[in-house]
Amino acid sequence: MHEMSLMEGIFNIIGEAIEGRQVSRVTKVSLKVGVLTNAVPEALQMCFQFYARGTPVEGGEMVIEEVPLVIKCGECGAEQKLDEPVFLCPNCESARVDTISGRELLVESLEVE
Amino acid sequence: MQINVKTDILAGNAEQAAANRKEFDRAGVKVINVMGSPGAGKTTVLEKTIEKVKDRLRLAVIEGDIYTTKDADRIESHGIPVTQINTGGACHLDSSMISKVLKEFPLEEVDLLVVENVGNLVCPVEFDLGEHLKVAVLSIIEGDDKPLKYPLIFRQSQAVVLNKVDLLPYCDVNLENLRRDILSINPDIRIFQVSARTGEGLEEWVEWLCEQS
Repeated sequence: MHEMSLMEGIFNIIGEAIEGRQVSRVTKVSLKVGVLTNAVPEALQMCFQFYARGTPVEGGEMVIEEVPLVIKCGECGAEQKLDEPVFLCPNCESARVDTISGRELLVESLEVE
Repeated sequence: MQINVKTDILAGNAEQAAANRKEFDRAGVKVINVMGSPGAGKTTVLEKTIEKVKDRLRLAVIEGDIYTTKDADRIESHGIPVTQINTGGACHLDSSMISKVLKEFPLEEVDLLVVENVGNLVCPVEFDLGEHLKVAVLSIIEGDDKPLKYPLIFRQSQAVVLNKVDLLPYCDVNLENLRRDILSINPDIRIFQVSARTGEGLEEWVEWLCEQS
């Protein structure tokens, strides 16, 4: 349950992004969350509601785009999406693979009024 | 109006972790972050390791716990400098918590600083503390399905200590499957099969640890 800590980070980022701008409300917060991060979308939503209370974000929505696990093989160069966290190239079975995506925890954009 | 932000949520933690690492490197201390489920045997492995290592390396320990000082009290009984971080509910340590207690140690007089994280197989691995090595402790009785269910900790760790191998005859875990799954997530990880209770396998782990320091 590290979603509370993540939400603290998210609200710090929102605060910095709207500082010095004429913003009365934040209507939408878009996140990118990689499947490897163990951040549970439902738990994030719950924490979002909690943190939004009494801020310009209250009443706004949070949209989470889940980012799949993608690896690039160091042997054959293939880039592949993996459904299971088995870090072997599906093409040549090499274990020399790098994680290209799946660990993202990003605030992508805000919709503000 | 849309504001493009594209900012990493963990950027603040990563920044402090980099500062911690710089401080560790300046003082010449190696830091390991020990992670694993509650009851995996992290503290017992650490206690047995301390007994074998304390004549070779100057040790210090940071104990992470939600509320209690039970683990820190156990470490202190071995005559090692130890400090306790109580997270007050949080399920993991983060880099700013570590930074706040560093002044309690004369870092220049320490060779190896061990951070025992809060018992949890999920959250701690997301938070870089500035450590040089991550080590997972998994007791075999937790089941051989754990690596594929919680892959990130095995992907990010340099070593895994498979503890409680003395209980192998009393449980249905398939050690071969367990090892295969761990290596499929991280082919470079070192696997040590130990029993902290009987002392089996500890020598190899201790040798590896001393080589890293």
